[in-house]
Amino acid sequence: MSALRIALPSKGWEDDTLRFLGQCGLRVDRSNPRQYRARMLGLPTGAAEVVFQRASDIFEEVNAGTVDLGVTGYDIVAEHRSEEDHIVVVHGELGFRRCALVVAVPEGWVDVTSVSDLAEVAVELRSAGREMRVATKYPNLTRQFLYDRGMTYFELVEVSGAIEAAPALETADVICDITSSGVTLRENRLKSIAGGVVVESQACLIGNRRELQADAERLEATRALLELMEAYLRSRQQVSITANMPGESAEAVARRVLASGGVVGGLRGPTIARVFPKDAADGEWFALTVVVSEDALLPSVEALRRAGASEVTAIQVRYVFEHRSWTFEALKRQLHGLADASALEKTTAWSSS
Amino acid sequence: MLGDRPAAPIQRVRGTTDVLPPEDARLRRLESTLRDGFASFGYQGIETPILEPLELFLRKSGDEIIARMYSFSHWNRRLCLRPELTASVMRAFVDELQGRSLPLRLHYGGPMFRYERPSRGRSRQFTGVGIELVGASGAAADAEVLYLACAGLESVGITRYRLVVGHLGAALQLLAQLGMSDHAQGLVLDQMEPIARGRVNPDAAVARVVDLLGGPIGNGVASETAAGLPPTLADLPPEQATAIAADILSRASLPVEGGARQPGRIIQRLLAKARRPDPTDQVRAAFEFVAELHAAAAPPNRLERQLRPVLEKRGLSTAPLDEVTAALGLLEAYGPLSPSIEIEVDLSLARGLRYYTGLVFEIYVDAVDGPLQVCGGGRYDDLVRALGGREAVPACGFSFGLERVALAGAHEDGLAPRRVLVVGVTQEDHPAAIAVARELRALSDVAVEQDVRLRGVKSALRYADRAGLDLVVLIGEREREEGVVVVRDMRSRAETRVSRGDVVDAVRQRLG
Repeated sequence: MSALRIALPSKGWEDDTLRFLGQCGLRVDRSNPRQYRARMLGLPTGAAEVVFQRASDIFEEVNAGTVDLGVTGYDIVAEHRSEEDHIVVVHGELGFRRCALVVAVPEGWVDVTSVSDLAEVAVELRSAGREMRVATKYPNLTRQFLYDRGMTYFELVEVSGAIEAAPALETADVICDITSSGVTLRENRLKSIAGGVVVESQACLIGNRRELQADAERLEATRALLELMEAYLRSRQQVSITANMPGESAEAVARRVLASGGVVGGLRGPTIARVFPKDAADGEWFALTVVVSEDALLPSVEALRRAGASEVTAIQVRYVFEHRSWTFEALKRQLHGLADASALEKTTAWSSS
Repeated sequence: MLGDRPAAPIQRVRGTTDVLPPEDARLRRLESTLRDGFASFGYQGIETPILEPLELFLRKSGDEIIARMYSFSHWNRRLCLRPELTASVMRAFVDELQGRSLPLRLHYGGPMFRYERPSRGRSRQFTGVGIELVGASGAAADAEVLYLACAGLESVGITRYRLVVGHLGAALQLLAQLGMSDHAQGLVLDQMEPIARGRVNPDAAVARVVDLLGGPIGNGVASETAAGLPPTLADLPPEQATAIAADILSRASLPVEGGARQPGRIIQRLLAKARRPDPTDQVRAAFEFVAELHAAAAPPNRLERQLRPVLEKRGLSTAPLDEVTAALGLLEAYGPLSPSIEIEVDLSLARGLRYYTGLVFEIYVDAVDGPLQVCGGGRYDDLVRALGGREAVPACGFSFGLERVALAGAHEDGLAPRRVLVVGVTQEDHPAAIAVARELRALSDVAVEQDVRLRGVKSALRYADRAGLDLVVLIGEREREEGVVVVRDMRSRAETRVSRGDVVDAVRQRLG
């Protein structure tokens, strides 16, 4: 019996990650908060071993196979991937820690609003005998991004400490760094430019191809994990509405509701069940249940009222399971080498080939 | 201790190839046939390093190549594996050969590297074999280069091919006429090729280039007017306009500053940018012209009717067309080329390298899965200056993709050397066998192997059979005493005893 081993990000990422897992119904249990080893409970296949690491180190740990799975940022995966690594992106969009890798320039460069301007300024600096210095912790993505946009004259510089401070400290002219709200950029008097998004990122789940291929039990645990994550992610923004409606028969109620327009069909269609009123004089009543997306909630309630609904209740849906886990199917195809496009190709532009 | 477990095998880098025997010998023969042909026209060999400063290719190689380079930093020096050979050869010219009398004729061959998606006929490491004719311009020089490309292919047995000739002059004239910036011209030139080939939809290409140029109408900075600036401001001398803009920005407490850049420069650029017209129409016009040129592509005898009107209609000089016609005319004078070649003039040909200035060409061979480009080249009169040369030196050249030439001519190969194995029956006979082998090596085009495993005749014959050798020469104690050797033909299995003195003749005869 071999337990699934999963690396979770520590430091600034930890709270978001544990909250996400909690919402998926997975509990991470550790004897004291300073320990970096723990157990994850909630999988039917048994407890998984958890190790906490920095998000930036998790890629290497998973690649080396010391763990089977890891949660980290897609930006980190895109930067560190190579054609010969052992990584599979098991789930690319866990829906938290959203951010983007962007090119940012000093606010004072009022003439620079696009990557094209940046390319021209690079030429201008070069004719003055200097290379434009770009500070980044993402050299691979940054270089490819700038080359692909016809910008060839620049120099990537490593800076110690905060990247955003580099232009002010004059150790770089511009930066390419992660931002989520843009506040840090503004505080450092930097601005993003049109077309300057290198990659959009969020938390993702990666796995080691060889480890997952080699062990059916751990693969099965991965399937269970994915089922929960997928069902939770699908359930977000979904509400289940139940309305009490008078009517002669279930069919008549359904007809009226569908004719009223506006009630979205739900995942498949409304469910209608008979209600047995406390007072028989009240006539025939039915309870109608339908799952709709959150932004359709009020229009749906209106439509139900028009169709004669009295009380309407709505609850947040916790999970939506489909007849199979699509991400797991995709993972199996990747493990068998049948994936049509590897994640690497998504991040590397092959514009013309 | 490693124990009994074998070490994990190490795989070659993806997209690279191990050239195995006998393919390796075949590639070498191809290369030397091609280069011998160049040498007979007075071209001299040159070999430049595989490792080059990154800077060399940033200047003129074009974004398509730059984005696919293997570049790295080694001890703070920015280096790359060369993605093409012309820039390297011309760097060497600027560095060390500027004093030589011109024209200078150079031939070369060697590996180059591009990080592309590997497929049949496309590896990340491949071999370029080509020439550069430095210090000569005009149709006479172009024709020599064209001829050597065609004759080269024919010398290795490829006689059915398609030669596509273009000239950058047509597109460059139009871009200048449209008043596009250098940066914009470069972006358009890079897209010419994919558009002409139909790999990119023209609307998508226009959108991409306009986007890279900062979007329509200078990204909302400029107004709707053609000048992009209020007429009163646009009419002012630049220094005054700059001063006014600086004043307004400072009154609005908008700081204009930026480390290495002077505030004055920033404001000047801001105004210059606002003066520029919306690039969308220019870019669209440029691509429409490219499409027209491609649609008018024609064999040499129809140029007057099909291509000349396209240039004349736009008021462009027809000099590029005349140069192509003259070069193709001279090509005929060089001697008859194979009757099954097809020549097409297509002025939309751009080749994806930024340094071409005049005639350009590509050669295609039909392969199993479609046309395979085996050769490409052209005229690049500005490269020497761009690489720091003392003066502009016109130059023209081409390069074959050696592996693709091999792929295109996969059927023909009669040049493999015959193989002979010389075997001493026992260890005592080994010195005598060495002596026989030494004599046999006087034969040309024969590879003579010596049995060194000394496991006996049976084992040696088994090897000769499996490895496909032509003959085996055996010598044992009895043969030494009698002054003979045994020659065994591996195909017919016939064995003959021949006198020790006649062994060379006997082997030559049997190899026929």
